[in-house]
Amino acid sequence: MALGNVLDPTAIRADDITSPGPDAGPLTGKTIGFRLDEIWRAWDWIAEIWAAEFEKAGATVKFWRSHQGRTGAEGEKVAKALDEFLDSIDIAVVGLGNCGSCTGWTIRDALSAANKGLPTTAICTEVFKELGHQLAARGGRSGLRIHILPYPLNEKRRAEVEPVAFEHLQSVQHTMGVDTHPRKEALA
Amino acid sequence: MSRTINITSSNTPSPAQQVNLRDCGPEGCELDWLSSQRHETEIDDVMAFTRYAMQQGWGDGLPLIPPTEGRVRAFLAQSNRYPDEVICKLPPTDADCTVEKIAINAVMAGAPAATLPLIIAALEGLADPNFELFGLNATTAPVVPLTLVNGPIRNQLDIPYQHGCLGGMPSLSIAAGRAIRLLIKNVAGQQVQVTCQTTFGSPGRLPGILFGEWEERSPWAPFAERRGVSGNAVSVYGTMGTQNIIDTTSQTGPEFLEMTGKSLAYPGANGFSPAMPFAEMMVAINPVWAEIIHRDIPHLEDVQELIWQHASIAADHLTTKHREQLEAQHRVINGRVYVAVEPKDVLVICCGGTGGLHATGFHSFGSCLTQTRAILPGPDQS
Repeated sequence: MALGNVLDPTAIRADDITSPGPDAGPLTGKTIGFRLDEIWRAWDWIAEIWAAEFEKAGATVKFWRSHQGRTGAEGEKVAKALDEFLDSIDIAVVGLGNCGSCTGWTIRDALSAANKGLPTTAICTEVFKELGHQLAARGGRSGLRIHILPYPLNEKRRAEVEPVAFEHLQSVQHTMGVDTHPRKEALA
Repeated sequence: MSRTINITSSNTPSPAQQVNLRDCGPEGCELDWLSSQRHETEIDDVMAFTRYAMQQGWGDGLPLIPPTEGRVRAFLAQSNRYPDEVICKLPPTDADCTVEKIAINAVMAGAPAATLPLIIAALEGLADPNFELFGLNATTAPVVPLTLVNGPIRNQLDIPYQHGCLGGMPSLSIAAGRAIRLLIKNVAGQQVQVTCQTTFGSPGRLPGILFGEWEERSPWAPFAERRGVSGNAVSVYGTMGTQNIIDTTSQTGPEFLEMTGKSLAYPGANGFSPAMPFAEMMVAINPVWAEIIHRDIPHLEDVQELIWQHASIAADHLTTKHREQLEAQHRVINGRVYVAVEPKDVLVICCGGTGGLHATGFHSFGSCLTQTRAILPGPDQS
């Protein structure tokens, strides 16, 4: 038995932003952008309900639908469309991390939004919570806001999903850093 | 003093570029070129080191060779690559994948030093954004990158391309596939249950899938050459695994292709998933069938077209929700859905033993696009 040195085979990324980034603040007058996908209908239903509630609070809502074809010429089109979408909003809500690769793309798109300085919240389901945080950290933003929805979700009917949206309405605003009681002078 | 050496870009095999490097290389300098952190541990007992490596999170479960400074330097001495040369960044970690890290992992895997250029070329392909390694490493799918080797280097490195090429034919160079897997774990950061949510995984995730094309028996141009890279080259392709297709009945080219195409078509295959808008489909044809197919159907484009036509499913065979999603994506054509959007995305290769009787389908992952890179010698080694 002999002791000696071996060389570390791992590589790590050195930079990390631990801050969650700016709060969403008051919603009045803001444009909130929902990033949807082509896989999870449950996320569509939840986004519709949250969007309606945010509009009641004085926000304008936009939707942008991504898909998993992020390579080649199609991928370039998607990247350009995402960039234009992010430039047109004030707050980003990015989902849904509900599988491995789609959590990957959810986090990657959320990082794009956060790196533009937008108040950004990624949405993942419980099973993919840890993956979301790990990918955010490896993407250089361990502080990325991630709101967690229950799992399973997409396997449920709409009538079962809608209550989930309402149950999470307050908590997702908390994650986003929404100021739900803006001071009167701020509204003036 | 700085020196100028000829280095050929790995992405564009020619012409050579003039690149200024630093004052001294690994052969003429007393600086410590190895910058990785040192860990003191047992180095004479492979199993003791393997246990240590597993505790550190470096291992894959099989015995590992301790990457001592001596072994890593000896590995690098057979190349004049600079240890701190950054080859690429591999997601999700996006940390620098240096020649040094490649050498350390290759030593641990037991890969011969002569495989370094092959490993580097494969990593360059994996790092291309169009390969979508970011999604591949995170996914619930069992996908593993397949490495297909073309060129004379197949014989120089004893890369299997005949009987048992996908597993079972012994070759020391197979450890290069394991080295790529360890790099994806230790440098890219793919860790099951941490950054990777694979539901089942696959056997190929341990040693990788590394094999060659039997160019000498193939009636078609080498796969890499068809993609614009002649000579020594690797092509990386994200595959869900190997799907065997047995056919003891067919006699003609069209019959073999019908049987092969129809066997590739099942609703749960990647190409039929509404989760992605397009996909590739690789098919390995044994040399016996390849000869018959080429006799009956001389043009490869026609071979691809026939496989593609048969690799389709009647839309009404799908579940209602599945069909509706594909219809919304305009992927139902005259009542049928195809494994790939276009025939050109059916990738045909020739390998395997002369017993014939089988083809292998490699269903793809997501919209991951095959990448081909030249295998190049290091600077001053051409």
